[in-house]
Amino acid sequence: MRPIFLLIDDDTDDTFLFNEVLQQVDPTVVFLSAANGQEALDTLRSAAMLPDVIFLDLNMPRMDGRQCLSALKRDHQLKHIPVIIYTTSSHPLDVEQTLQNGAACFITKPTDTRALINILTTVAGNVRSNLEDALLALQDGVTTFITG
Amino acid sequence: MILLVDDKQENLYSLQMLLRLHRYETDTAISGEEALKKILKKEYELIILDVQMPGMDGYEVAETISGYSRTRDIPIIFLSAVNIDKRFITKGYASGGVDYVTKPFDPDILLLKVKTFTRLYRQTRELNEMKATLEQKVEERTTELLEANKALEISNGELQQYAFIASHDLQEPLRKIITFSRLINDRFLACIPEAAIYMDKVVAASERMRKLINDVLDYTRLSGRPRFRTCDLNQLLQEALADLELSIRDKAAKFETGQLPCIEAIPDQIRQLFQNLVSNALKFSRKGIAPLICIQGQRVADKSFTSPAACNGDYCRISITDNGIGFNEMYLSKIFTMFQRLHSKEEYEGNGIGLTIVKKIIQQHNGLITAESSEGAGTSFVIILPVKQTPEIV
Repeated sequence: MRPIFLLIDDDTDDTFLFNEVLQQVDPTVVFLSAANGQEALDTLRSAAMLPDVIFLDLNMPRMDGRQCLSALKRDHQLKHIPVIIYTTSSHPLDVEQTLQNGAACFITKPTDTRALINILTTVAGNVRSNLEDALLALQDGVTTFITG
Repeated sequence: MILLVDDKQENLYSLQMLLRLHRYETDTAISGEEALKKILKKEYELIILDVQMPGMDGYEVAETISGYSRTRDIPIIFLSAVNIDKRFITKGYASGGVDYVTKPFDPDILLLKVKTFTRLYRQTRELNEMKATLEQKVEERTTELLEANKALEISNGELQQYAFIASHDLQEPLRKIITFSRLINDRFLACIPEAAIYMDKVVAASERMRKLINDVLDYTRLSGRPRFRTCDLNQLLQEALADLELSIRDKAAKFETGQLPCIEAIPDQIRQLFQNLVSNALKFSRKGIAPLICIQGQRVADKSFTSPAACNGDYCRISITDNGIGFNEMYLSKIFTMFQRLHSKEEYEGNGIGLTIVKKIIQQHNGLITAESSEGAGTSFVIILPVKQTPEIV
């Protein structure tokens, strides 16, 4: 069973880069993307197979990431999927609120692709087991890696 | 115009003659009732009032006119027989001035009194007019200022919004430039060192631009209504130092911190102030010499750099001293100016906003800041901040 990653982000460049790096890190992963929260929810609700991990941007038109997160966690079918916030924001308030609302991890989009490689390697490597622990480690690690 | 009131025509006549001789305009009334009618119609600067009159006597007239705001300030000279009724002394009718002259009266004395009271009346009237004009002018000016203020607030709000949006929207393309340039460098130019160097310069320049936009964004966020809270400066300092941990370790910097007081301030801004000043102290350290940064604070009596210490003073003085490269004090005003730097970006990184932000924060807190320094001998930034902030009166 190939792992499925869903990226919900309106930025085409970030989506493009994400896919590129993902292919490089683990070509077996199936990559899905949606341009905003509403589109993602519609697709998910009618999907035959659900993703293993959702990467969620915060600032999007129509339905932003925060609203989408709430909707995901309220939905019985979808709330078990780990959500990784993947955003340009580094605001402590955003971190606090999203983690409180059920996000598994908060990652500020790095400008250094090596950091993204690191992140995707970790997630892809642990998607079948211990993902929660791996994400916690990632949360701490990511902060120091990026600011280092 | 002076009003003469007496029930005896001959008395009125002689009074009139006396006053007209001295160029006073006069009017007469033969009874209390007539006097009242006239007083309510015309304006008099003085009333000479016979007390003993049939019908309404002098005191009754005085009492009546003291009830009307238009007439209660008119001075009155009572003409009375030898037994002066002390009623009005105790009654306290004094707003227009009251005096007594006994009959038969000494004309010279009467004239002196007339002069005094008419002058008093005129002066009081002038004063009231001036007061009214002044009050109106002040009101007009206040309205003007309030309107100008409102317009400025709106314009300021708009500017802030534009600055915020512009900075925010500028960051997105910049981020892509940095990310993809780095990617090109890593993936394709590792084996072409010359190209890699050029790309490094692209990335470095873009990073500088990003820092600049962030700093300008920080600066614009400093305007607007301040929200003060009681803050422990020691805690804010520690938080700022925690953010600078990496840099501090890099430079092996040492700190000597004294106990800082608690003051009313905006916590985020004070933290940023400490961060910017300490960051500078770390950045401008002397080569090969580990930075030693001393932060001291004490309460002082007045808002001045040389004020003596006072344990219950209204202000506090904080000094941040380093042993770095220092600067020539002739550039003191320059260092606080936006984008002004004393060094090229090759010598020391930075965009010249750090101290501008510090100065703005000090302004927001109604404080003072200065720096003492000499080249090669370190710098000391001295800040004065009020302990208490008065809430904004809207």
